[in-house]
Amino acid sequence: MATDKIREAFRQPWQSQLIRFTPYIAGALLLVILPAVMPSYVQSIWTRFLIFALFASSYDLIYGHTGLLSLGHAAYFGAGGYAVAAIMLHYNINSFWITLPLGIIMATIVSAGFGLLALRVSGMYFLLVTFAFGEALYAFTWNMPWLSTHGMQGIAGLPRPDLGIPGFTWNTISFYYFILVVFLICFFLVYRIMNSPFGHALRGIREGESRMRALGYNTWLYKYIAFIITGAFAGAAGVLFVYYNRFISPTHVGVATSFLPMIMVIIGGSGTLLGPVIGAFVIVFVEYFASLFTPERWPLILGAIFVAAIMYARGGISIHLTRLWKRLDYRYGSTKS
Amino acid sequence: MELLLPNLVNGISFGMILFLIAAGLSIVMGLMGIVNLAHGALYMVGAYVGWTIAVQWQLSFWLAVFVGGLGGALVGLLIERVFLRRLYKQPNEQVLLTYGFVYILSNLCIWVWGGYRRLQFTAPALYGSMDIAGMPFAKDRLVIIAIGIIIAVALWWLQDRTRVGAIVRAGMDDKETTTGLGINLNLVFTAVFILAAFIAGAAGVIGAQLLGAYSWLGTDILLYALIVVVVGGLGSVQGALLGGLIIGLIDTFGKALFPQFAMFTIYLAMIAILLAKPSGLLGRKT
Repeated sequence: MATDKIREAFRQPWQSQLIRFTPYIAGALLLVILPAVMPSYVQSIWTRFLIFALFASSYDLIYGHTGLLSLGHAAYFGAGGYAVAAIMLHYNINSFWITLPLGIIMATIVSAGFGLLALRVSGMYFLLVTFAFGEALYAFTWNMPWLSTHGMQGIAGLPRPDLGIPGFTWNTISFYYFILVVFLICFFLVYRIMNSPFGHALRGIREGESRMRALGYNTWLYKYIAFIITGAFAGAAGVLFVYYNRFISPTHVGVATSFLPMIMVIIGGSGTLLGPVIGAFVIVFVEYFASLFTPERWPLILGAIFVAAIMYARGGISIHLTRLWKRLDYRYGSTKS
Repeated sequence: MELLLPNLVNGISFGMILFLIAAGLSIVMGLMGIVNLAHGALYMVGAYVGWTIAVQWQLSFWLAVFVGGLGGALVGLLIERVFLRRLYKQPNEQVLLTYGFVYILSNLCIWVWGGYRRLQFTAPALYGSMDIAGMPFAKDRLVIIAIGIIIAVALWWLQDRTRVGAIVRAGMDDKETTTGLGINLNLVFTAVFILAAFIAGAAGVIGAQLLGAYSWLGTDILLYALIVVVVGGLGSVQGALLGGLIIGLIDTFGKALFPQFAMFTIYLAMIAILLAKPSGLLGRKT
């Protein structure tokens, strides 16, 4: 089937082919080829962008698709990150194959626990409770001496993960490609979840929960599973962040970090596949330029972007990009598709 | 006994501060259907303004309370009329918007007042202690408690005994019918939001005697206020008062008795309430 489609596509005129494959070509260019020819500090920002794109995608599962506005999303990010950082610090276990699953399991446990309590309430109470839980974990990491390197808040000086490949050494670009591979796997999983019957049921709950209940869906269970899955992906992002940043502090668990995936999803467009990625791209790069010029005014700029995005660009950037692509496809592309 | 009484007074006075913030938050939540996450930031603005007037300029404490309240009300007016109003009936977007203002206001406060922490102060008029039944009590704590009680009674009277309160309660229960009866609910929204912002700003000045002022105060106090609303229940003055006192006492005694777990006692209270009665102790039925 797939090969037939590709063969069919290649038979069409070249403009239509170009437009059909433009997003994929652009994506490959931006993610695979371009970073290789960039200076290493840009590669580093690109890595950061991918990590936050995964974080924002995980948030979009719960906010954009299920319609639950959770204010404590960094809790799972931080739980995954702290689990890995603590095991690296105290037991010197650096293997990627152990630390990543461990971080994801930790984040899943935390989100399963929080979800059990937070989903007892709905509407505005859900906001309050998720916010409070995020801050509870923040207080926990702040007050546990075990979760800090001696004499400071947070765990610093962490090594890069050990992939178990003999003779392999890290540099900026190999680390970037490593993160890219993990990101693509996770992103593919998110994509499959979104387009599964489960994902459709989640969007059904977002549009009308009582209707879904009347159709015989156990909506509580759907929401709970979505809550756990989103926590697992946020945990994966947290683990990658620890590999990347080699430092984690209570700030990465608290409200300041919870805010980031929210603004990325809003800017990019919620409930879409590309939205969170585009939002993460915008925020990470604006943050970089802001840090060059006025690092101390960055929260102000972030807040202003956020307010402006909500007031004037609620659909998000990705909506406009998709529309543009569709229009081009309609004008120059084939009518068969 | 030596430990119990001062902690009791401290706990109740802290609970009163929490009540002042949570009452506005809770009524706005009940009436407008949104969580104003910038409510803590309004408190912080009030605290900084009050500190400038009472400590830096050495003016009257009561003037500081009033101007701090005005500062909060002004920012609240701006947020409600210019921004929230445009997002009518989109609760998620409204909540997210107020979250953006937490960032903007915190950073503006750092810009204007600098990043260093303002310490707790006591107004010259409130120095010293007062003997009640042979026990000395700090005067400023007693004044905080008195202000809290006065405002609680005033708000309760406004809510349950006046026409305005009846309109607000009707608005919480059924917006369409209330509007259909010829009531300009938008005006009510604005008025309630500004009153809540005023009380938050004034509470900031009063509370600065216990907490001082610092740049992440807005988030800290918002967290307490949210927990108070969860415990006390949403949409009523009584619920905010009960929740505020419970959380204030639990927090103060927790810090005195088991300092290393002090951060978690309030969360335990919240979890207990969520398990036993998710709508809060005195929540309105929804």
